[in-house]
Amino acid sequence: MDSKLDMFEDVNTSPSLEGDMSIPGKRTTTATNASGVPDYNTLDEPIRETVLRDIRAVGIKFYHVLYPKEKSSLLRDWDLWGPLVLCTFMATILQGSSSADSMSDNGPEFAQVFVIVWIGAAIVTLNSKLLGGNISFFQSVCVLGYCLTPVAIALIVCRVILLSHQTRLLFFLRFVTTTMGFAWATYASFIFLGQSQPPHRKPLAVYPIFLFFFIISWLVLSHN
Amino acid sequence: METPTADDLLQFRDYSGGAPAQINVNSPTHSGSGGSGGGANAQRQRGDPLQDLIYDMTTSAQGLSGGGSSGGSQPQNSPLDGSGGGAGGGARISFLTIEYYQQFFNVDTYMVLERIANSMIPKRAAGNYLRMNIGENPDLYGPFWITVTLIFSIAISGNIASYLHHASDGYLWHYNFHLVSYAATCIFLYANILPAVLWALFKYSLKPVDAADTIETDSATYTPSLLSLMCIYGYSLAIYIPVSILWVINVSLLQWILVITAALLSGTVLIAVLTPALRNSKFSLFLIIGILSAHVVLAAGFLLYFFHSPPDAKLAAITPTPAAPAPPAALKAVTQAILTGGNGNQSH
Repeated sequence: MDSKLDMFEDVNTSPSLEGDMSIPGKRTTTATNASGVPDYNTLDEPIRETVLRDIRAVGIKFYHVLYPKEKSSLLRDWDLWGPLVLCTFMATILQGSSSADSMSDNGPEFAQVFVIVWIGAAIVTLNSKLLGGNISFFQSVCVLGYCLTPVAIALIVCRVILLSHQTRLLFFLRFVTTTMGFAWATYASFIFLGQSQPPHRKPLAVYPIFLFFFIISWLVLSHN
Repeated sequence: METPTADDLLQFRDYSGGAPAQINVNSPTHSGSGGSGGGANAQRQRGDPLQDLIYDMTTSAQGLSGGGSSGGSQPQNSPLDGSGGGAGGGARISFLTIEYYQQFFNVDTYMVLERIANSMIPKRAAGNYLRMNIGENPDLYGPFWITVTLIFSIAISGNIASYLHHASDGYLWHYNFHLVSYAATCIFLYANILPAVLWALFKYSLKPVDAADTIETDSATYTPSLLSLMCIYGYSLAIYIPVSILWVINVSLLQWILVITAALLSGTVLIAVLTPALRNSKFSLFLIIGILSAHVVLAAGFLLYFFHSPPDAKLAAITPTPAAPAPPAALKAVTQAILTGGNGNQSH
């Protein structure tokens, strides 16, 4: 019992994850040379390089979500650019068109999708913090936002499928696509966030993540 | 005269130094198994090692939640620290910190599953469940996520039901996202307002305690805190999640059987769990009827609003059901009776 307590207290007090946090622009700052001066100077370089470096950092994160193997890179440098882009894109596609016939179209508003994604991610993160997870708030929001990538890809595929006349086979195709995106997103976020909880509480922290992606996948599937 | 008092004081201090440690060892759920000498039944014996497991997890979780509340698991701490387990620890933590709210999420997977099962299966929980299990460690994890799950399961099933309803004719179906908003409003209101009202009624209608049978009432009656009531009510909604998925099957007889079964199952469990508190109240009969009928009305309202939204379908669903004799009319009458009865209570 005592050893168990000690172990958890160690986990709780050690600031290992928070300590490594840095903003993405300074990511390569860690690779400084011996004198401590960074390899580049953001004041002297062209603005194109600065922007491109940030974009590359975002692109690397997308790649890590689609190929979830290494778990540290998404956690170390969090940013909210990817989640913002994904969320805006999905909300734009998913919003119900209020122009033609507002009677029959009861899709979600842009703001509703936006709020579901951001508040949902915040609540899921808060839940894992309250359960005693050792991960910082924005790291978790960043991971959840980036893990929307497979769902967003499923949305693009569904949108393309919806262009043609709807049949049962096409609906089945959409269903399979969305389910795959959902499973992929849940698996990726589990890889990244699963380690932050003590083992006997892991299902309690994973269930809200599952629910979060399930709801968004439902929005994607029922969009027509 | 002075030396004995000094001795007494010293002894008392020694005793008080040792007592919280004992209380703490027993406090989270261990006391449930400790009290099994009184009403030893098969359930408690079966659950004994499991309760030990819960106890282990709870204490380790208290250590994990850190801050001042770690005193709950360590007997060597000062009496002030130990004097109330999780609830006592919360008094000294500011409500602006995350540690204050961590005490409401101090549960493990096993405990949540156990509480969900206890909310569905009658006679599963021990007699002192309200006081020893919920009262010692009321959590908000279960109620919050159960209500959120219920909101979306009802909205999604309602959409699927309307899709199946329109699938046969060539009508171009659009999904109705606004069901989520309606479901969220009504479920959050039910899960928050009703426990508050019930808590207020429990406080208001508290029976005066006779001095003669204080010991007996101490063990038999117990007025729960607002948090415990919200916890119990949140868990009692869990049964509607599988039911709302089964409501997709568009057979009205089956749907109404599900309504009545679910509401009665979870309602009787609610009554059984709240028995110690109801015994303490002057209007126990009215409260029992009120709790049960609110549960039935909630389930019937879900079914009528989210699954039978076209009015002609609603009428068609009601008339050919002999199993449920005119449910809406009966419910309306019952609610009327409850409302008037409640008003009568208020005016007393």
